[in-house]
Amino acid sequence: MSIKEFVTSIPVNKVGLKDLLGFEKTPRNMLVAVLTLAFIAMFVIGVAIYLVHGHHAYNVSREHPWGLLIAVYIFFVVSSTGLCIIGSLGDVFGFKDYMLISKRAIFGSIVTILAGFAVIAFEIGHPVTMLIYNVLSPGLTSAIWWMGTLYGIYLTFMIIEFVFLLKGDMKKAKIFGLTGLLVGLAAHSNLGSVFGFLNARPISNGVFYPTYFILTAFITGVFIAFILMGFRYKLNFPEKVKTMLTGLAKIQALLISILIFFVAWKMLTDVYGGMPNRAEVAEHIFHSWTFWAEVILAMVIPLFLILKDMGKSPVVLFWASLSGMVGVFFMRYNLVHDTQLKPLQMMKIREYQLSPEWIHYFPSSTEIMISLGGLGLCVAMYYAGTKFFNLDEDEHH
Amino acid sequence: MARYGMALDYKNCINCKACEVACKEENGVLLGADKHRIWVGANDVKGEWPLLDIASAAFLPSQCQHCDDAPCQEVCPTHATYYDENHVVRVDSEKCILCSYCMNACPYDARYVDDRTMTVDKCTFCSDTRLARGETTTACQNTCPTKVRTFGDLDDYDSEISELLRTREHFSLKENLGTNPKLFYLT
Repeated sequence: MSIKEFVTSIPVNKVGLKDLLGFEKTPRNMLVAVLTLAFIAMFVIGVAIYLVHGHHAYNVSREHPWGLLIAVYIFFVVSSTGLCIIGSLGDVFGFKDYMLISKRAIFGSIVTILAGFAVIAFEIGHPVTMLIYNVLSPGLTSAIWWMGTLYGIYLTFMIIEFVFLLKGDMKKAKIFGLTGLLVGLAAHSNLGSVFGFLNARPISNGVFYPTYFILTAFITGVFIAFILMGFRYKLNFPEKVKTMLTGLAKIQALLISILIFFVAWKMLTDVYGGMPNRAEVAEHIFHSWTFWAEVILAMVIPLFLILKDMGKSPVVLFWASLSGMVGVFFMRYNLVHDTQLKPLQMMKIREYQLSPEWIHYFPSSTEIMISLGGLGLCVAMYYAGTKFFNLDEDEHH
Repeated sequence: MARYGMALDYKNCINCKACEVACKEENGVLLGADKHRIWVGANDVKGEWPLLDIASAAFLPSQCQHCDDAPCQEVCPTHATYYDENHVVRVDSEKCILCSYCMNACPYDARYVDDRTMTVDKCTFCSDTRLARGETTTACQNTCPTKVRTFGDLDDYDSEISELLRTREHFSLKENLGTNPKLFYLT
């Protein structure tokens, strides 16, 4: 089969602009549509401001060089890895109950990582130089190089897997799905190591983040699975979907419990013994509201609601998952901000801008606009995907 | 081919900041408090009146440590940060993508963004200015009125810096991180 024949044989719906705009005009749909368009408009405005003013449009500084856009990039790629894991449950590992979300989750993993790339493109100072010198002079000891390169390969595998899923070729989908999953997990733990390798920052340094990233990716994937299925079935779930979501909820209860153990012991270890540059940072984190937003929204509320009836109320868990995703956003923001909280000082005790205080950072309006824009792009791409492709499970499988 | 380093007799520092001015002038560093390659820190006096620890109020000049095992070089995804032929840690602005990983990885807060090129910049030991012209001192060393700084080849047994490090006790900053700095503080 020639490439042309292969491409033309991919089942794609013929969709015009009229079809794209032809959604049911319910208040909920209208709200989502207006918000999505507003976010995309913000993205355009934010990017325009960035192109004129460069990094001056952001509130990043010498002491806090990574800001909101890095956190949002991590948020999207964690979502992508999570959806890849969820998608793989059915088509790679053969759990039949989860087959019905495979195609949707794999498509979700593609759009989330594309949204992440769209955001990071305006954070990296020279993205074109990056593409050139990533190849011409690769820094093999750099976690960022591995992360970026592996995510590029991962995206390719995800697209190929999605194409085979559309064509119903489950054997090839499984091969590319498994490869993509392994590359994705490697990329994602490398993203954790970007922080874990920072010897200068004792609060982040160590093995914790590379492993924690995989766990939180799985948790994020389950949250998004509830949200995707909630929108797909307008919270009126068929029995088969209910069975799958109950299974996912039980897995989620276990995962969140493990996460609570992880975070509790990390924080206790950080504080224990009062180690300089680590203990006081952890104590500072305990006093920040964003940490408690992460704990309450992403851990306490979803776990409590799942355990209430062992995950048998998918509608409640849809809302719990929205809470969870807001919590996951704070999780990413905290990770980036907390790493940079403590000034490196270097004896600039009274001089320059480095006082022996905590580094303050609050995102600029441009950073917020590009971040929300990323969300808008993600939703828009996903919506277009639901029109162009059949994301439900094929009947003959 | 040399292995350049610097010894700082920091207790001689009088905080005149001539070194900072000379560095900015010689290397065309942008004005602005956060655009600096080198700096002079000032510690607060420790203790309470009348038991003040006068010795704690020393001035502490510093800059990039030109580590032999530089974290900034290890984390760079495009090899924009490299060791030149004299073991000086340099940045190739053509290759720098401004991912800022090096700024986060440097334990010494020695890096900043040059707004003209939108790439990361740092101390070069005046490699592309004074040393390129054949001079043997850095701007900060040359201007220092109390001779705090001694710059030279650590591999040359007869160099002034080698002599100082053989005969004077010294320490480096954050030695526990294993970065092997080539800035030495004489005690």
